[in-house]
Amino acid sequence: MTTRVIIRTLSELCVTIGTLIVLLVVYVLYWTSVRADRAMDSEIDHLQDRWATGSVAMEGARGQAAPPPYAPGASFAVMYIPRFGSDWAKPVLQGTGAETLKKGLGHYSRTARLGATGNFAVAGHRRTYGDPFKDFPALRPGDAVVLTDGTTWFTYRIDRRPYRTRPSDTGVIDPVPRASGFRRPGRYLTLTTCDPEWGHSHRLIAWAHLDATRPVTGGRPAALSG
Amino acid sequence: MYGWIWRHLPGNAWVRALISLVLVLAIVFVLFQYVFPWAEPLLPFNDVTVDEGMAGPR
Repeated sequence: MTTRVIIRTLSELCVTIGTLIVLLVVYVLYWTSVRADRAMDSEIDHLQDRWATGSVAMEGARGQAAPPPYAPGASFAVMYIPRFGSDWAKPVLQGTGAETLKKGLGHYSRTARLGATGNFAVAGHRRTYGDPFKDFPALRPGDAVVLTDGTTWFTYRIDRRPYRTRPSDTGVIDPVPRASGFRRPGRYLTLTTCDPEWGHSHRLIAWAHLDATRPVTGGRPAALSG
Repeated sequence: MYGWIWRHLPGNAWVRALISLVLVLAIVFVLFQYVFPWAEPLLPFNDVTVDEGMAGPR
């Protein structure tokens, strides 16, 4: 009798743990993306509403000399990478904290502003939370990375295939990134994500340089319509 | 364990089944809302930046 109770309890425990694991997998693979996609869409809507009301244009005109710093945790730009799909558009938020990266891509706060001289460095999830950088290894030299801050379109061009490095290799987001092949100061962009896809032993880096800018009033850049 | 719970639920089989369903849904809700968001950062999918070493352990 007791043996029966022990075996039954043990099997029930195993079934319970198995169910828990399946639920956790559903949460990580599916639910985080549902939540993140919703959050990213609302960030983009929020930005476009703000841009449509013209508050950014006025800020830009007023603060030409010293633009206000990006507010931590707030979105300030939208990124488009045609290589990842014509409908791929993600908000860029200030900071790279875990909570920030659940709502979009994160701008390393100690790196340059969008379009400025230096290195505009951005981190994003490769897997989970909407998988924004899932196709990261598909980036090739010449690929466009287009960003807008509501007043200007910035078109960056990827310069080399993604570079694999160690997590401690912070030189890759320096103003003149280490190992990038860039020699002199310029307007650069760095994207970082994890490697391997589901792991965290390495990081995958992509570098680009500013190729063209145009005012938003001039229409979408050619890289997006092509 | 589950047999013990079933025996201690009130009502006939239908009421018990209904209460069980509500209990299961409540547990799933608590897991998705509180337990998994706490456990997920312990998995490696969050490490996408290169300055963890400087920002301190997370």
